[in-house]
Amino acid sequence: MGGAHHHETFISKYIFSMDHKMIGKQFLITAIIMAVLGMGMSILFRMQLAWPGEGFAFLNFFLGDKWAPEGVLDPNMYLALVTIHGTIIVFFVLTGGLSGTFSNVLIPYQLGARDMASGFMNMLSYWLFFVSSVIMVSSCFIETGPASGGWTVYPPLSALEKAMPGSGLGMTLWLVSMTVFIASSLIGSLNYIVTVLNLRTKGMTMIRMPLTIWCFFITAVLGVLSFPVLLSAALLLMFDRMLGTSFYLDSIYIGGEPLAQTGGSPILYEHLFWFLGHPEVYIILLPALGLTSEVISTNSRKPIFGYRAMILSILAIAFLSFIVWGHHMFLTGMSPFLGTVFTFTTLLIAIPSAVKVFNYLATIWRGNIRLTPAMLFAMGMVSLFISGGLTGLVLGDSALDINVHDTYFVVAHFHIVMGAGAIFGMFAGVYHWFPRMYGRLMYSKLGYTHFWVTFIGVYGVFMPMHFLGLAGVPRRYYSNLEFEMFADVQFINPIVTAFAIMAAIGQFLFIFNFFYSIFRGKKSSQNPWKSNSLEWTAPIERIHGNWEGPLPTVHRWPYDYSKPGYEEDFVPQTVPLKEGEHDGH
Amino acid sequence: MEVILIILALILAGVAVSKILQAKELVDGLKGDQAEPITDAEMKTNALGLVVYGAVLFAFLIAQIIGWEKYMLPSSASVHGVEIDGLMDITMILILSVFFVTHILLFWFGFKFYYRKGRKAYWFPHNNALEMAWTVVPAVVLIMLISYGMSTWGSIMNPEDEPDLNIEFVSEQFKWTTRYAGDDGKLGQASFALYGSNAVGVATEKAIITRLEECKKMITDSGSLEEFYKKEFKVPHTALRNSLKNYESINDKGDTLIMFKGLRADSAVNELLIANDWNKDGILDNVEASLRNYKANIIRLNRMLKDYIKYPAKYDAGKDDVVINGNSIKLPKGKKIKLQFRSKDVIHSAYFPHFRAQMNAVPGMKTYFTFEPKETSTEFNQKAIDEGRVYMKRIKDEEGNVISAEETLGSTGFILYCNKICGASHYNMKVYIEVVEEEEFEDWLADQANFEVD
Repeated sequence: MGGAHHHETFISKYIFSMDHKMIGKQFLITAIIMAVLGMGMSILFRMQLAWPGEGFAFLNFFLGDKWAPEGVLDPNMYLALVTIHGTIIVFFVLTGGLSGTFSNVLIPYQLGARDMASGFMNMLSYWLFFVSSVIMVSSCFIETGPASGGWTVYPPLSALEKAMPGSGLGMTLWLVSMTVFIASSLIGSLNYIVTVLNLRTKGMTMIRMPLTIWCFFITAVLGVLSFPVLLSAALLLMFDRMLGTSFYLDSIYIGGEPLAQTGGSPILYEHLFWFLGHPEVYIILLPALGLTSEVISTNSRKPIFGYRAMILSILAIAFLSFIVWGHHMFLTGMSPFLGTVFTFTTLLIAIPSAVKVFNYLATIWRGNIRLTPAMLFAMGMVSLFISGGLTGLVLGDSALDINVHDTYFVVAHFHIVMGAGAIFGMFAGVYHWFPRMYGRLMYSKLGYTHFWVTFIGVYGVFMPMHFLGLAGVPRRYYSNLEFEMFADVQFINPIVTAFAIMAAIGQFLFIFNFFYSIFRGKKSSQNPWKSNSLEWTAPIERIHGNWEGPLPTVHRWPYDYSKPGYEEDFVPQTVPLKEGEHDGH
Repeated sequence: MEVILIILALILAGVAVSKILQAKELVDGLKGDQAEPITDAEMKTNALGLVVYGAVLFAFLIAQIIGWEKYMLPSSASVHGVEIDGLMDITMILILSVFFVTHILLFWFGFKFYYRKGRKAYWFPHNNALEMAWTVVPAVVLIMLISYGMSTWGSIMNPEDEPDLNIEFVSEQFKWTTRYAGDDGKLGQASFALYGSNAVGVATEKAIITRLEECKKMITDSGSLEEFYKKEFKVPHTALRNSLKNYESINDKGDTLIMFKGLRADSAVNELLIANDWNKDGILDNVEASLRNYKANIIRLNRMLKDYIKYPAKYDAGKDDVVINGNSIKLPKGKKIKLQFRSKDVIHSAYFPHFRAQMNAVPGMKTYFTFEPKETSTEFNQKAIDEGRVYMKRIKDEEGNVISAEETLGSTGFILYCNKICGASHYNMKVYIEVVEEEEFEDWLADQANFEVD
């Protein structure tokens, strides 16, 4: 290979590309489109929550007379929007989009590899992701509406067509889409694991890898171990729906009839779902933390504090994430003893998480912080990780969970920590590696504005939600006016919606900046952020094989920023150690 | 039209911004500002922004905590809930202090150490003592919190004493039905095979026999499926299934529809579908499924009847049960109440926020939650007033429109609602609960009808 240019047609270069950089961009742009859809849906149902029963012409414009007659959202469509919003953001933006984009762009670059271990599997992974996105979006256009049982699609609600219109064809399409999505995720993850283990350049030992790579690596391992369980949950649900089995059904009386299917348990589905569901939280969060670590260290001009402790905490979080799924199920009637066990393991996760936070704070302490848009988003991510993580102490404690379970407190908690937190990590990544992807810089002033609008929006939307939850308001309620108790705190909802609209409009600054800068951005130098890691030693032009000539050799860890004894405040990984100099950590 | 205008305006705004950026790029180019991707002035503004943002964020949070406290739930109205409230207070204090400390550090460091040319950051890659400290301290704090939480959970979920009262809630789309244990203090057997006019499916001899006859009638009207086809259409079952479409065009027998009315007497919607076009949308599949369901149920009921003949005593406990169909119930103060939950169709969750009690109702299994109300509704309202909690006193006109709403001290009272997504009307599944003194409760319960009167 050696950087030799093959003849490339438009199709092999931009569509069925096997080049990791192009596939990363494909993931990113698909994710941006999906994010706009997911965000748009949230605005549609937030209108109903803020002003229940009032008509809005734009709801009618988007949803039509069937789902929004006279601009008033239909209750079934409300649930459908909530469900598809969650599914799209969790799976298509934050799982496929986040780790798909950055694992692809950064793993070969930061390891000093010419490409992924298997370019073909990589392409397959993207196209399966694309197909599943198309299926999921198209399910919104069918007569009975898309899946509407919440993003967790618990049976029997999701298994019985008679339970709600969304449990018909819409649910089938949801399951088909997820099956394809899981295939994509597994193929991608295997590829990332193999690449990290086999294609590191000379000198790149495991403990010289940037934390981004550590996070992508562990994320891929989590995905490979947990997604198959979701696949089996989805397949069994399909069987129950289509073949008359009863894995999840028992003693059901619906539509005025006792169902013949008995002997299953809906709780089985919950166990299978959350066995993926909880590691999934870290599949989303770890890549964001990885990007944040790298951005914070580079822009603080300081080594990441406690590199080894960071790796250990990633491993600890990953391990614990597999034995905490029951904290989503404290109130399902499972054995109270199990509740005790899951409380214990859940709260343990707070320890490695605390270590990560303190390490970030120690990293920026006495740094020389360049407050670029990427750095601001990374600091925002740390703030959200703290805020959302802390409220997790309430939810993970089974005794406290009794009174906040499934209220807006939960909605606020996970939107802050894994929704906004991960999105902030993703934004940090995009602003920071945009020059690496497109050879141009994004407009920093638009970037700052985007950051401030988003950061104000996030806390404006989600902080008041905690109080709704503490007042006992449940999530997924179409209207809060049916209960006097909730009508009393209804005034909070317009505040939340106003911030949500502001934040949503703010995102167009980013979208504009992104697409405009691809073509018109200021040309970037090869290493615009004066960073140490290998991706910045490659030429700024996109070439097959990443480096002209031989691959770079690594002599040190990637965090030699402001190292005493060096003139510059950064020492790239390719610079040999001086005589008597120790590798940094 | 409006929408097109808005889209046009957005496009124009986009073009305007891009032109401004282009101009700015040219100016920057003239200034020779190409070396650094960002300027010092920008960084200074952002650094100030962090501090200002931090201050506003804290003010926003504190304003909410103080200003909205009056809307939060009053302190617990159940005995175990007091422990939960105590644990919650400790956790909240911990959370808020960590939140404030870490955020002050984060925003302050961002401001204090923003980039200045010529300065070098402090080389500080790791420090074992420090790292050990911030691993061990959170670990110790968390272990204490975990122990407290686990013991609270254990005492709530494993009550040692026998309950004074057994009550059951059965959920369905979209309401709750309540059953009290009656004089014997026991909730009688119940099964989903008996749902129908028997709202919670209490199993007594009479109920089983009634239901069995009901179900048999559902299918004997049409005989076996095979017979039914032969009789009606003079063709075998499979042949008919294959030629449904042809059949559709030639058949217009009114009497077939009548047969189906017998079968589907409990489902008006399907009847209507059948009357319109009974082959459409796999309606025949539904009819077949329906037959299968009823046949399975008959087997189930027969088995239950055999069981009754063997152990008749088992089926007596239900006779004196009290089933309340409305959405308002009473509970006695100072009694240990064991709640049992069942669901007819999908998962629901019974949430009693004022009692700090919640449990899912899952089809196919029974779940339980035990608690003791420690104050009557009147006392609770007085407590809410003392704690400064408020509610909106709404005056409505005859059509139910709110004429005026006034913030008043007190509480809207105890309530049970569904807290697990269960369908279109999930947001409107409520039971009003009134807690009264024991004697009043006994009188009230005695006034309610028993399930079966001998």
